[in-house]
Amino acid sequence: MRDTRLRLTILGGYLGSGKTTWLRHQLHVRAFGPRVHVIVNEAAETPVDDGLLTGAEGITLLAGGCCCCEGQGALINALRGLCDARSRVSGDGERLERVVLETSGLADPGAIVAAIQADPVLINHIVVDETVVAVDALHALAQLATEPLGRRQVEAADRFVLTKTDACGLDALSVLRTTLSTLNGHATVTAAVLGEEVALAPVPPDVRPAMLPDLTGEDARGPIAPTQVTIPPDLDWSAFTLWLSALLHARGDDLVRVKGVVRTPAGRLLLQTVRKVVQSPEILPDQGDMRRDNVIVFIGRGYRPEDLGRSLRRFLGLPSAAPINPAPLHATTEGSLT
Amino acid sequence: MCNACGNPAAPGHWTDAGAATPGDRLRARFHRAALLSNLLRPYGLTAHDGGVVPGIQIGTMAGAQTIVHNLEELWVEAERLAGRPVDPLDARYLGDA
Repeated sequence: MRDTRLRLTILGGYLGSGKTTWLRHQLHVRAFGPRVHVIVNEAAETPVDDGLLTGAEGITLLAGGCCCCEGQGALINALRGLCDARSRVSGDGERLERVVLETSGLADPGAIVAAIQADPVLINHIVVDETVVAVDALHALAQLATEPLGRRQVEAADRFVLTKTDACGLDALSVLRTTLSTLNGHATVTAAVLGEEVALAPVPPDVRPAMLPDLTGEDARGPIAPTQVTIPPDLDWSAFTLWLSALLHARGDDLVRVKGVVRTPAGRLLLQTVRKVVQSPEILPDQGDMRRDNVIVFIGRGYRPEDLGRSLRRFLGLPSAAPINPAPLHATTEGSLT
Repeated sequence: MCNACGNPAAPGHWTDAGAATPGDRLRARFHRAALLSNLLRPYGLTAHDGGVVPGIQIGTMAGAQTIVHNLEELWVEAERLAGRPVDPLDARYLGDA
């Protein structure tokens, strides 16, 4: 059965990170395909951005309230309106296919995903396809060092678009990319200058991530770190989901993100969560890079990294002696970022 | 959505992914209930899913019963009925303590 739900792309990123510039070019080259509706959210009362965007089927502007917090009702209403209008169109070839939501620079994409999943109408009509986060190559390191919001945006991303890379030195860019991959190792990285995609040179192997101060204040749970857990090939999906739901229930506030592709008898399932919210798993085609199948990345804190794999094995009733090897993702030892 | 019981509120819970046909879904429900039953026994709880009524019935050995609609609700209710947290990373669960 084909998933006919409306696809939603969330475009996030800090204030001035180049979201609109990037989106404008993507719409111009029709990168999102035909029949795209754009929703622009601006936290300020005076809209600026909507005049710049052409090439979309329609534009909705939500001004005066960030849609991850006080403007959430307006966003839900706008999305419901779109779904309603779409349901009245019978032809498959004329229906709206995708909505791109450009968030304000102050929005946490994770909160928006959670709001959509919690809405009983939207959950039936919308599937969150991708969270793209624009990262300002010039200023991102400074923002990440001081702004908890900047880090939440980075943690929620499926894809980074590094902007203004032409104005940034190669060394600084390498440090930024290494830092991003320690904060969020599973997101893909692309770069764009004025919206046009540019190639990225490989990061030299000896680059160290920037030292980021702990922003959580008196939070003693430690830094957020990624952990990989390899799951057994003949996994019992029901048992695994029981374990994961119990884990998210107990530790959901600490587990910022879980992502991975699980092989099941029904096919390859793309599993992803943001905090306690699990997106309905998508069945992926048997193509592309399948080497990362059955490896699940947990990004979080407040637990010993090796306990994740141990707990899963215990739950599945497997002997704990066999090394399931929850190795920290990058060169960071002991699961520590700093 | 059924007006009387409110089911289903969402198009299949995420844990149902991969069970495409009604038969698969029913099998998955029975299988999950069996796993849950084993799992909750150390907490003094029982789990039952007859496959007819929507939801999973959980109860205590003393007879308190409740019906939950998905696994998120299940853990909340299990903790309430058992009177203690259910945490897969707990040292006692892992056998460390």
